[in-house]
Amino acid sequence: MGHFSLSVVGRDRPGIVAEVTRVLFETGCNIEDSTCTILSGQFAMILVIAHPKFSSVAEIDPSFEPVRKTMGLTVSVHNLKEEEVSREKGFSGRPHIISVYGADRPGIVYSVARELARYMVNITDLNTQVVGAKDRPVYVMVLEVDIPENVDMKDLEREFDKIRKELSVSISVRPIESLEL
Amino acid sequence: MAVLPIRLFPDPVLKEKSAPVEGVTAEVSALIGDLVETMRSSPGGVGISAPQVGELRRIIVVDVSAHRRGGQEQNHGLLVLVNPEILAMGGKQIVREGCMSIPDYTANVQRAQWVLVDALDGNGNRRIIESLGFEAVAIQHEMDHLEGILFLDRVVSVKTDLFRRKKYR
Repeated sequence: MGHFSLSVVGRDRPGIVAEVTRVLFETGCNIEDSTCTILSGQFAMILVIAHPKFSSVAEIDPSFEPVRKTMGLTVSVHNLKEEEVSREKGFSGRPHIISVYGADRPGIVYSVARELARYMVNITDLNTQVVGAKDRPVYVMVLEVDIPENVDMKDLEREFDKIRKELSVSISVRPIESLEL
Repeated sequence: MAVLPIRLFPDPVLKEKSAPVEGVTAEVSALIGDLVETMRSSPGGVGISAPQVGELRRIIVVDVSAHRRGGQEQNHGLLVLVNPEILAMGGKQIVREGCMSIPDYTANVQRAQWVLVDALDGNGNRRIIESLGFEAVAIQHEMDHLEGILFLDRVVSVKTDLFRRKKYR
């Protein structure tokens, strides 16, 4: 049994998922986890796949040659060590949503991510987009994070205040509330 | 009273419609007691329905009073609703829900902001209950179980509404 990470990127059009999953089905691969989305007109797929026999990239990579040739997709496969594959989150903490938005300018993602890393806040989801009118682009970033129990929200807010002033962005942080039913 | 095992999807019982309860007998009371205990034994559990323990009977139990946000809102504490019917509902709210029968998944679901429910309580007495906010979400989620509807049937968009394999406790 081998696990692989598979990424596929190509100009968006109907049939990409069908073609890639046909190859996976026919080679006997199991899709363990996946997320696919359109980024600036490119369809991007990231999957964790498993094969009952194959354990090396060399065994599985040639199966994607037809997809590369006929559909012009960029396909890359990497080996995952068994101990790296997990269905659980690796870090714990209090789940929060952070929204960051403002006039588009360099450094927004980095400034926020740098402070989060400094406080050992784990990013579990991150989505960025440029929206708004062509001549007035607005940068929007939404993150889901786990904030460690020992981090004082006031400290984090102080860092965000600096970023708010420096980059003229709005930042809001709120806990994720969920109901277990 | 006993903690009963939770039926997990794809157990077909979760897609079945439950039958009305004829009367709150001693046997029904015992099941209600077990449901309360089973709900409380689950970390963060604020609601449960009879089909989740394999009993296809129209009984739900809700208690949001211990929930971080639900407890701050107006709520009825422990609510036992037998044969619940929604008389009226209104408003909209989107709340992230999880379900004991589908572990490790949460998703944003759109629900009514308030509901007016006609039901029998744990003693078999008829009650009309008006509920708002998180408690109203819990009632709607549990009442869906009585119809064989899971919260995954109500997710509105994949883009941001399905949160994969994350625990929020």
